[in-house]
Amino acid sequence: MTNLNAVDPATVAQDAHLEHADVVIGKTTIIFRRFLRNKTAVAGLAIFLALTVFSFIGGFFTQWDKETIDPFNIGMPPSADHYLGTSQAGIDLYAMTVEGTRISILIGLVVGLVSVLIAAVYGCTMAYFGGKVDKVMLFILEALIMMPALLVVAVATSGGGEGLKRNLPSWLLLIIVLLVFSWMGTARLIRSMSMSLMQRDFVKAAQYMGVPPRRIVWRHLVPNIGSLLILDITRGVTAAILAEVAFSFIGIGIKVPDVSLGVLIGGATSQVQTFPWMFWVPLTVMFLLTGSLAMMNDGLRDAFDPSSSSTGKAKKAKARKTTVEKKMA
Amino acid sequence: MSSETTTGATQPARPDVERLHLAGLHAPTDAVLSVRDLNVRFNSENGAVHAVRGVDFDLMPGKTLGIVGESGSGKSVTSLAIMGLLPPTAEVSGSVRLNGRELLGLSDKEMCKYRGNDLAMVFQDPLSSLTPVFTVGTQIVEALTIHHPGMSRAAKEARAVELLAMVGIPSPKDRLKAFPHEFSGGMRQRVMIAIAIANNPRVLIADEPTTALDVTIQAQVLEVLHTAQEETGAAVVMITHDLGVVAGMADDIMVMYAGKPVETGAVDDIYYNPRMPYTMGLLGAVPRVDVAEKSSLVPIEGMPPNLLHAPTGCSFAPRCPLASDACLDGEPALAPVGGEAGHAAACIKSGSLGGSVDVHEVFAAPPVPVSRFDAIPREERSTVLELTDVRKHFPLTRGALIKRRIGTVKAVDGLSFDIREGECFSIVGESGSGKTTTLLEIMEFHPDQDGEVVIGGLSNKQAADTKTKARMRRELQMVFQDPTGALDPRFTVYEVLAEPLQNAGMDRGAIRKRIMELMQLVGLQPDHVNRFPNQFSGGQRQRIGIARALAVNPKLVVLDEPVSALDVSVQAGVINLLDHLRAELGLSYLLVAHDLSVVRHISNRVAVMYLGKIVEIGAVDRVFDNPRHPYTRALLSAIPVPDPQLERTRERIILQGDLPSPLQAPKGCNFATRCPVFAALPPAGQEKCLTLEPPLEPASAGTDQQFACFFPDGELDEDMLVAHEPADQHAP
Amino acid sequence: MLKYLAKRGITYVVMIFLTTSAGYFLAVSSLKPALLEQERIPRPTPEQVANSMRLKGLDPDLNPWERYVDWLTGILTRWDWGRSPNGAYINAEFGDRVWISTRLFLASIILTLVIGVALGVYSAARQYKFQDRVITSYSYLAYIVPAPIAYFLVQLGAININETVGERIFFVTGISTPGLAPGWAQFVDMLAHYVVPTVAITLVGWGAYQIAQRQYLLDNVNADFVRTARAKGLTRNQAIARHALRVSFIPVAQSIAFTIPAIFAGGFFAEKIFAWPGVGSWSIDAISLQDVNAATATLAYGSVIFALGAILADFATTLVDPRVRVQ
Ligand SMILES: Nc1ncnc2c1ncn2[C@@H]1O[C@H](COP(=O)(O)OP(=O)(O)O)[C@@H](O)[C@H]1O
Ligand code: SF4
Ligand code: SF4
Ligand SMILES: [Mg+2]
Repeated sequence: MTNLNAVDPATVAQDAHLEHADVVIGKTTIIFRRFLRNKTAVAGLAIFLALTVFSFIGGFFTQWDKETIDPFNIGMPPSADHYLGTSQAGIDLYAMTVEGTRISILIGLVVGLVSVLIAAVYGCTMAYFGGKVDKVMLFILEALIMMPALLVVAVATSGGGEGLKRNLPSWLLLIIVLLVFSWMGTARLIRSMSMSLMQRDFVKAAQYMGVPPRRIVWRHLVPNIGSLLILDITRGVTAAILAEVAFSFIGIGIKVPDVSLGVLIGGATSQVQTFPWMFWVPLTVMFLLTGSLAMMNDGLRDAFDPSSSSTGKAKKAKARKTTVEKKMA
Repeated sequence: MSSETTTGATQPARPDVERLHLAGLHAPTDAVLSVRDLNVRFNSENGAVHAVRGVDFDLMPGKTLGIVGESGSGKSVTSLAIMGLLPPTAEVSGSVRLNGRELLGLSDKEMCKYRGNDLAMVFQDPLSSLTPVFTVGTQIVEALTIHHPGMSRAAKEARAVELLAMVGIPSPKDRLKAFPHEFSGGMRQRVMIAIAIANNPRVLIADEPTTALDVTIQAQVLEVLHTAQEETGAAVVMITHDLGVVAGMADDIMVMYAGKPVETGAVDDIYYNPRMPYTMGLLGAVPRVDVAEKSSLVPIEGMPPNLLHAPTGCSFAPRCPLASDACLDGEPALAPVGGEAGHAAACIKSGSLGGSVDVHEVFAAPPVPVSRFDAIPREERSTVLELTDVRKHFPLTRGALIKRRIGTVKAVDGLSFDIREGECFSIVGESGSGKTTTLLEIMEFHPDQDGEVVIGGLSNKQAADTKTKARMRRELQMVFQDPTGALDPRFTVYEVLAEPLQNAGMDRGAIRKRIMELMQLVGLQPDHVNRFPNQFSGGQRQRIGIARALAVNPKLVVLDEPVSALDVSVQAGVINLLDHLRAELGLSYLLVAHDLSVVRHISNRVAVMYLGKIVEIGAVDRVFDNPRHPYTRALLSAIPVPDPQLERTRERIILQGDLPSPLQAPKGCNFATRCPVFAALPPAGQEKCLTLEPPLEPASAGTDQQFACFFPDGELDEDMLVAHEPADQHAP
Repeated sequence: MLKYLAKRGITYVVMIFLTTSAGYFLAVSSLKPALLEQERIPRPTPEQVANSMRLKGLDPDLNPWERYVDWLTGILTRWDWGRSPNGAYINAEFGDRVWISTRLFLASIILTLVIGVALGVYSAARQYKFQDRVITSYSYLAYIVPAPIAYFLVQLGAININETVGERIFFVTGISTPGLAPGWAQFVDMLAHYVVPTVAITLVGWGAYQIAQRQYLLDNVNADFVRTARAKGLTRNQAIARHALRVSFIPVAQSIAFTIPAIFAGGFFAEKIFAWPGVGSWSIDAISLQDVNAATATLAYGSVIFALGAILADFATTLVDPRVRVQ
């Protein structure tokens, strides 16, 4: 401060330096680097990507597909021909696992992404308009939370014979129903977060500078909620995969002839003693999927935390709490 | 001037064992608390943080030791180490003796015999220091039960009532059943004090007990602490970063820096004859509420050192204006100076300091900036902001389904003032008096506002379209109280500063250039633009906030408590910066602050607000030197000054209670419920105050001072006046 | 406080009404019992089917709105929730099943909460120690296993135990062995039926509570008020037990709102897997039997459970947190 007006030769150089825009902003890089520093998270990402790739190209490694019946191998253990053996109906289990993994990942990704999108739009609308709009929208939201989603899934997928259902594959129907019931928690969180952000001084500062509301939402609110949104996507994907398995397991989600991990696991329960691999193989795949997502979630949270310098214990603990709260919600 | 209490080990560094041995032998046997070579290390992921490095002191019964220093200097850690309340990760060594018994090394269980009994503590944040789910009574009784299990229930309750009464809580019996959230911050701190003195402790440690409180409440709490000390005869360790707070009550002072005592001695020696540049800097950094003379504050540049690495030289050297090569050669030990008993300083140049050395010269404080407007009479300058009869009333409703209006909160009630070019206008008052609401009313440009706000010739009534609004926005910008909250954590400094410029439609090249200018202007390194706010210290963040406000060249900057979140030394730098900017750029300021010394230092004019109304307004020197309204007098009297002799002798007005809720505002004069003049008035006078509202009227011809009181010269009520007996050993 | 609860109650009644009505419309437009009836052997004529449906108040020729009005009138005037396609009365069927489900859940809810909270406290006290890591890892694992699969695995485990011992210790399906005389034998039989489902639900449910309670307590062990309590002369553990614990219950109490519906949802799976004839399995069966009235009734039941959970949570919160008492 004492040299407030001193001409600093370094400034001149700095001026030139700053002409290159890349010097100025590198947040994405910072976040990316932080994520990469977290070994668990990277491992999670690797497993998840590997499974996704497997679900697309795995089919090329076998001549069997999920429909062809091999009449000579019915309920056989793994062999060179059928890597994971065959089902009771004589269908190659490997082919079915590949297909099931793809459907499960598909359901997870679509539900995870779209529900967060719905939640963001709905939550921000509530926070932005406030007042009556907020009240009514909150009421609808809570009413939806109150609906036992499971029953609605059951009713909707129970194939009573309406036109809609006949023309839709059961996985698509399941996606739609899961979507309807999966976004409310996130929406409520986004609403309260945006509301508290609106009260923060830096938003006020922007308002007092005359920054238009659109821009405030885009430049201040969205990035500050953004990390939450991304975390919620990974969480939403996990939840959707789990829900699919749970519903299909008791026979109300995906229905044969469509396959999914849930269908495979559920279908194998009656013979778990005699043909254990039929049960454990798809179950392991499911664990790998949900486990890898959980690992990624952890790393992402650290990467987004602006106050985190590394992965201190305290910070992790704090972040965990938010997960738990969400989970209980 | 000798002090019975001695502080500081005077020996130069020797092997620890030998030192401790000597210390044990030489510790005065009558010291109630004696600390020797206290060292605390925290093992963190990055290595060991050596937070406290060799603290020594002896505390005599009934005496007060003040520990001062910037935040992070190890004051709290020292006190927690004495109490045995540090986390298990802390490594504590040295010796802490309470009445001759060694406390270090005792188990948690063994310590419990002393904690809350002979050794008690009051913490900084009263809002979080009481358990929210238990009543105040339960929490006081608990303190009694722990150490007197045999005491009967009724006896404990009686004692709790007695304690609450002692700390000045009205109708204590009913309040026992209240929960902490039903109490204000000041009341909760009183409860904390009641808990601390419940068992008549021998030593009471108070760690920044008033930092979180309003000045008037601070004065009350300090008074309560004083009473508590008198009642219990306890020795007190008073920790603070505010040199004013301890000036009046301490017998001895220990100045800490980077975990080490750097100067110790009797209070008068430290304040009038500091021998260490850091102490001198701290004293010079505090603005004075009682002197009109304008001189720049002494800023202590830089930040305290990182305690991860053992210093090889004087730890203050990087910030010390007197540092020379000799200073880097080993850390100077605390050595006796100047022949005053017990006065010691850790500086190789202490011999040449003290007495007549001017701190402003030492620290090269910038000259008092002169604005080009200073020469022009106020009436001839143009008006940048004018408020006419601005009101903001909030309806208060009750009822769930059908809302009933049960009253009106008059947050701002008929405010009128104007700000001219190049001047700093301040609003002062307790929290809740309507300062922030006033700022919001100015910043938000409601066209349908009750009253009128004219900014640079444009009225808020016209601010219906975006263009007018944009023009008004360019005229005035705001700096916020909390420098951290005001910066988007996800923005780099560059983005922060670019935002207003982009909004003004500047092109990229111009923006870059302007940002570099701004960084220089506020004294930040231009190559720090790529950093995130969390990589800066509080003072630097506030500079970023100021730079942002200045980006679009406004005429008026609204400052909401701009320095209250900062340390004194850092605060001085920011105040100097504001002063400098005003002169150089011809800015006007609207400043809101509760610290009257800051206001006196930087303002030209001041308005005192109470419950939404201005009770006194005028030129700052006029109002502060010759206050007419009893509230102004009380506020001024609540500010402690860093001058021990003055503090010890001066008479203080201690206002009773907290600011009343605006709902309970009386019909006549707002201030009647707490007014020290009113309390002493004859019934006829009281009647007048209660029925008529005093208008804001000029004090005398020739000044622009105005005030709203019927009895400006009335006697003050005896009960609200406090003067401490000057302690004899300090008598000059 | 009472007024506040009453207000919340009214809101929930409105919500229950709306969700149930929505559920009815969904069910009535997608469940077609007549089609199923048509499959019977000997094949009835469509007229016969329509006739029998009409008699049970399930006239397929009426439009959804008309049926809704009829159905609602029945409930509002006679508390009659209608009949199933097979002629059974919903009210009667419902009564039995609610009792079965409640018995199953009550023990599980209490155990889940008590064990979850207790383990949370225990693991917080031993933060980062071996026990904490094991317990907390288990809870995270529970998070990535779908409930029905976990139940199924517990069932497998019980079967394995039975096989290892060579005797039927646990019943893995059903609620009781028919024909036992009341007395000791019946009691043991009941226990043997209860153990496996209760253990299964509890094992899956406590994880979330353990993690939450652990975290809330850890958030509070270093709180300022714990330090105050220690400064009074309590040891660290006493201070935590007396002060931090109580405060850390507040968020857990709030989360009760979600336990009850969650366990209820888990109950669907549990009843299905352990073959308990409760409301959950009934609802799924009802749907596959295209039973509009039963499906709607169970849906209404679900909403009521949710509302009860929310009100209970409000109540529990006011119990532990004085700050919400003065509204
Ligand atoms: N629990 C802890 N773990 C690690 N470092 C700590 C801990 N508590 C305090 N410190 C460090 O000790 C130093 C002194 O802190 P403190 O005593 O709180 O300063 P003051 O009270 O003077 O503001 C600081 O650098 C702080 O970061
Ligand atoms: S020893 Fe040197 S650097 Fe340290 S305070 Fe004294 S003069 Fe300054
Ligand atoms: S008018 Fe009366 S009550 Fe008001 S400040 Fe003056 S003396 Fe006090
Ligand atoms: Mg401190």
